Amino acid sequence: MINLVRNEMLKLLRKKRLYVIILIIAFLVPLFTYAQFKEIQEQREKMGNQDWRTVLQQEITDTQNRLSSSRIQDEWRKYLKIRLSQQQYYLENDIDPRAPGAPTFMRIFVENSIDLLLPLLVMVIVADLVSSEASGGTIKLLLTRPVKRWRILLSKYIAMLMSVSFIVLSVAVLSYVISGLVFGYGGWNMPLLTGFAVSGDELLTDRVHIVPQWQYILMEFGLVWYVSVIVGTLTFMLSVLLRSTAAVMGIMLASLIAGAILVNMVSSWESAKYFFMVNLNLTNYVSGMATPIEGMSLGFSMAVLAVWGLAGFIIAFVTFSKRDIY
Amino acid sequence: MKKYTLTIVSAVSIAATLLWLFGLGWTLQDQFTANEKFQKQKEKTESATSKKEDGNLTIFALGDSLTRGTGDADGKGYVGYLSERLKKKSEQDITLFNTAIKGETSRGLLKQLRQSEIQRQVKQADVIMMTIGGNDLFQQGKVLESLDKNAINGKKQIYLRNIKNIYKQLRELNQDAVIYHVGLYNPFSNLQDAKTTSSIVRDWNFQTAETAAQFNNIVYVPTFDLFQLQVENYLYSDQFHLNTEGYKLIAERVASLVHFEQEEKNDE
Amino acid sequence: MSNTPALEVENLTKKIKRKLIIKGVSFTLYPGEVFGFLGPNGAGKTTTIRMIVGLISPTSGTIKIGGKNVRTEFTEAMRHLGCIVENPELYPYLTGWENLEHFAKMDPSIPKDRLDEVVTQVGLQNRIHDRVSTYSLGMRQRLGIAQALLGKPKVLILDEPTNGLDPAGIREMREFIRTLAREENLSVLVSSHLLSEIQLMCDRVAIISKGAVIRTDSVENLLAEQERVIWKAEPLSLAKEILEKETEVQEGLDQTLITLYDEPQLPIWNEKLVTAGVKVKEMRTQLPSLEDLFLEVTGGESID
Repeated sequence: MINLVRNEMLKLLRKKRLYVIILIIAFLVPLFTYAQFKEIQEQREKMGNQDWRTVLQQEITDTQNRLSSSRIQDEWRKYLKIRLSQQQYYLENDIDPRAPGAPTFMRIFVENSIDLLLPLLVMVIVADLVSSEASGGTIKLLLTRPVKRWRILLSKYIAMLMSVSFIVLSVAVLSYVISGLVFGYGGWNMPLLTGFAVSGDELLTDRVHIVPQWQYILMEFGLVWYVSVIVGTLTFMLSVLLRSTAAVMGIMLASLIAGAILVNMVSSWESAKYFFMVNLNLTNYVSGMATPIEGMSLGFSMAVLAVWGLAGFIIAFVTFSKRDIY
Repeated sequence: MKKYTLTIVSAVSIAATLLWLFGLGWTLQDQFTANEKFQKQKEKTESATSKKEDGNLTIFALGDSLTRGTGDADGKGYVGYLSERLKKKSEQDITLFNTAIKGETSRGLLKQLRQSEIQRQVKQADVIMMTIGGNDLFQQGKVLESLDKNAINGKKQIYLRNIKNIYKQLRELNQDAVIYHVGLYNPFSNLQDAKTTSSIVRDWNFQTAETAAQFNNIVYVPTFDLFQLQVENYLYSDQFHLNTEGYKLIAERVASLVHFEQEEKNDE
Repeated sequence: MSNTPALEVENLTKKIKRKLIIKGVSFTLYPGEVFGFLGPNGAGKTTTIRMIVGLISPTSGTIKIGGKNVRTEFTEAMRHLGCIVENPELYPYLTGWENLEHFAKMDPSIPKDRLDEVVTQVGLQNRIHDRVSTYSLGMRQRLGIAQALLGKPKVLILDEPTNGLDPAGIREMREFIRTLAREENLSVLVSSHLLSEIQLMCDRVAIISKGAVIRTDSVENLLAEQERVIWKAEPLSLAKEILEKETEVQEGLDQTLITLYDEPQLPIWNEKLVTAGVKVKEMRTQLPSLEDLFLEVTGGESID
């Protein structure tokens, strides 16, 4: 098995896809670093002083203003209320949620890339893992070896898991190293709040507790990895089902983008919460943001993703071991 | 070299997998385990924050929409303006906790006071600000439903019982902080029946002040006089809550009182 | 030839969407022989071969490679098999050596020095560390064979091995295959739609048409059966008249007549012609090409 996985890793490396991914990240991170830097600068100018408390207080009053307008939608009001109580909590506990520093940037970057950017990167790697063997004809040589088919697919799956881990690690390392040039490398021990739970209209704070930022980041990356693995598994299944890498990418791209759009629209369509695409934003549960549909929670989303992933895994293995190859 | 890349990337990937699995496990453990741990951490937070807040003025505000600041264009409300004024005057850092809820009645406030987080904040407060009763008396900004004396009397009795309990609770939680209870104004003083409504509000205020007087350090701050004339200039478009100018008036009045108290405290 | 078969195919069928595509194919390969699998495009050659190598699962029938059933003992069966199905499609982004290493790693029974052996065997020593994307078709074909030989197989299956090669390449391939069969006692199954190729390369042939094997025999036997006699005589019309009374006659090119080869009858026919005053100028026997044979057995089905 180790030999098979080694083979798959070799092919992955030789295809240079991993390097492309790293390049993409290395190109995007400075972009976002600059954007973040500009934002902080602008805030400082606007406020005239650097005290984040005033900034946060301003945000709170902004939110209150918006809340007092009678024209806003119920959904939006709900979200604002939750945000408000959270911001107040931060202020009251003297915690700056956006203290600049490379770890903070890392956290914000990963929170914002969990539902689209990272799945896309994973997709680029995984999409042709099996379909390229089919379209290139090498599958005929691969499957006429004295190795059972499920073992071959499993080796590819393991290679997929490894490259997903590698991508997530690249995101972590690159975002830390590059943004640190601007923001400095400190801030690992900054306390952050987590454990918010949303129940109906209310933000439940009874389980809120403080974790140091490094733990918070590690937790979020764990979730990011989980999401990436699920997206990877589904892409993997499509890669088994379809010969054309372009078709795999097309379908995955469409569903991911559909997910991003749906999240903003589905609040009244409750059963949409069983789609995998609307459940990708796991880090929102940790940081205490509103859920797109009522009744969603970290456990729920993870379970939905697990079911999708498991189904994809089974479909992939059953089809692959039974299929006739022409 | 080429061979090494493969080995290195593979090794790094495996290490990363383990790391992320660990992170995921930690998340599950952290987000789903029982409350024990949280309780402990909460206590820690408590001590940390109370230490931090020594030496500066902590204002704890509670009550209804007036304290929340409904109607104020900046959303600050009188508490916001008050803390700004105090900050300037005393050149001290002021921490403001505002837990007021729009539409809160005396009953709701009593309930809110049972929450541990609120209790914790009350304990730490140097000054307590509150408005309550407006929603007991008026129904969400409507003119009094009926001017039936009996009905209003009934409401008043319930309110007075609740306010007494609120005072008592606050005092139990915090013996030192001065409590400023900002009184009611009559938002309908420019309408018909002004005489009747004004007399009801005056009576309401009087009874509350009497209750407050039974406790130490509770200042019942009148606002009736502030808006007795030309109330329309100080009302928000809903004709019930105050606008920015109105809130500033209240802030001004309370600020003068608080400043005095603060100096006295420093002298001690 | 030894008696233990290297490859046994028995009553193989394949149904796709209720349509029987392969209708009970059976044949056996013995060690050291080159077996031709001949049929027009779409006759079921490739489907049959893919069933043998395990890419397609048969609807019924058994396939045994080196005595191991492909269905029930896949791993053991595959260990005795080397194959190229259609084009030798290797990983273009890997070098030739990495490709071989890749496939060698999939079978732990392959020793490390085996790679050098097969590379020498196919004569790719100079270019083996170049990327496959830079290889010519002939080199890819050779690399394909190298990977097929990695596991020292008992059976080598080559689907259209000369497809796309130039004449020199074709000859080289043919000789290589013959050498392998002779020296390594390998049984080779070669499929082709080119009759001339099969004729030159194979010991035995199975002719497949419309999903069924029509005939299986040694090349000599098949040809011998169809031996003809060509007559040159004057006057031709009279000769034809006389011969038609005795046997089936066809008119050939250049004023000739063609009849079946029937050894005891031949002098009698001749005598009759002579007594009737026909001058028999020439009388010779001819082995037909497989082309003719094929047309005969398939009843005129087209072939390239």
